[in-house]
Amino acid sequence: MRRFHFLLFFTFACYVTAFSQENKSITASINVSAEVIQSIELITVNSLRFGDLQPGQKELYINPINDINAGYMIALGTPGASFRITYLLEQQLTHSEGKGGITFSYEISANTEENQPTSELLKQNNRNIEFNLDGRYYFWIGGRLNLENAQPGNYQGDFTIEIDYI
Amino acid sequence: MISFPKHTQFIKNRSPLFFKGSWVLLLFVFMNSNKVNAQEINFGDYSSLYAVTLTDLFPSEDLEFGMVFQNEGLKSKTILDAKVLSIEGVKYLDVLVDITADDYLLLDGNLACLSDPSCRIPFTLEGSYANRGANDTNQATQMTVAANIASAQFPVLYRGTNPPGPPPTPVYQGYNPALYNETAYLYIYGSLNIGMIDAGTYTADITITISYD
Repeated sequence: MRRFHFLLFFTFACYVTAFSQENKSITASINVSAEVIQSIELITVNSLRFGDLQPGQKELYINPINDINAGYMIALGTPGASFRITYLLEQQLTHSEGKGGITFSYEISANTEENQPTSELLKQNNRNIEFNLDGRYYFWIGGRLNLENAQPGNYQGDFTIEIDYI
Repeated sequence: MISFPKHTQFIKNRSPLFFKGSWVLLLFVFMNSNKVNAQEINFGDYSSLYAVTLTDLFPSEDLEFGMVFQNEGLKSKTILDAKVLSIEGVKYLDVLVDITADDYLLLDGNLACLSDPSCRIPFTLEGSYANRGANDTNQATQMTVAANIASAQFPVLYRGTNPPGPPPTPVYQGYNPALYNETAYLYIYGSLNIGMIDAGTYTADITITISYD
């Protein structure tokens, strides 16, 4: 009788084992990822102001670090994200009546805090700059204006700055 | 006339009906198990004896969508940018492949974002396989996807409209699986739909399950 029971058990055991092996499978897992960044915005808080120039004045210099006439801009982006800034070092300002132009050489200082006196001058191609934890970065725009060949009148020009995430 | 050994004396005292019933039961068990296996010729019956392996060709790389902007809309990765895995197994056998992806990428993997549209990105899975022996997307066949689960059954080595090959050679001493193995390739890709969501790192998982048919 024991043999008989053993035979029965063996038969069932073989059957169950074969069934479980048929379902053998392997699994693997991979990760999907994306880094969502905030679109960069540039807000102009104050424009660069030259004020009235004196007759015979050869040059005007606005120090971006300490001059209240410096332009002031805020860049908004992803907190902590790295970016680079590029801008033209020199820009031609044109006379409103077409009487020639004058050259303006830009100087920009920047800071992660809204504090102009502690800002630092930027080079033309700046890399590895980061937005602060609030996603902000502050710029002050000054520069040097060559007035040697300037005609009386109004002059206008644009300042172009480009900011890209790295 | 049935004779029994001496040590089974107690069995002799049992009713003949007991023995008849037992033999019928035993016969039933055998018939039942044979019936299951005899209804079809299934070359995969012994597939558990053979290994199938899944290898990530570039393990250091995720399925990365990289840097995307808020409100960017649809961002797709095609098969050319897909995550590639290789399946090595017996070329005669079919494999069953299931690729299951999360429905959303979540900000920092935070599960609370599952119900918060401001910190999740809907993900649509796509998958293909190439089973002609080369890692070639031009030879790939797109898998059917339902509810972000891509499924397919295919032979490790494409056989076209031909009938299945011979049963796999049994595993024996000195068995060299390389002689009977082939490699198929799995391509996993898809798209994101990026709305006005919080900035940050979003992640999700994709699980791949493979077995012989």
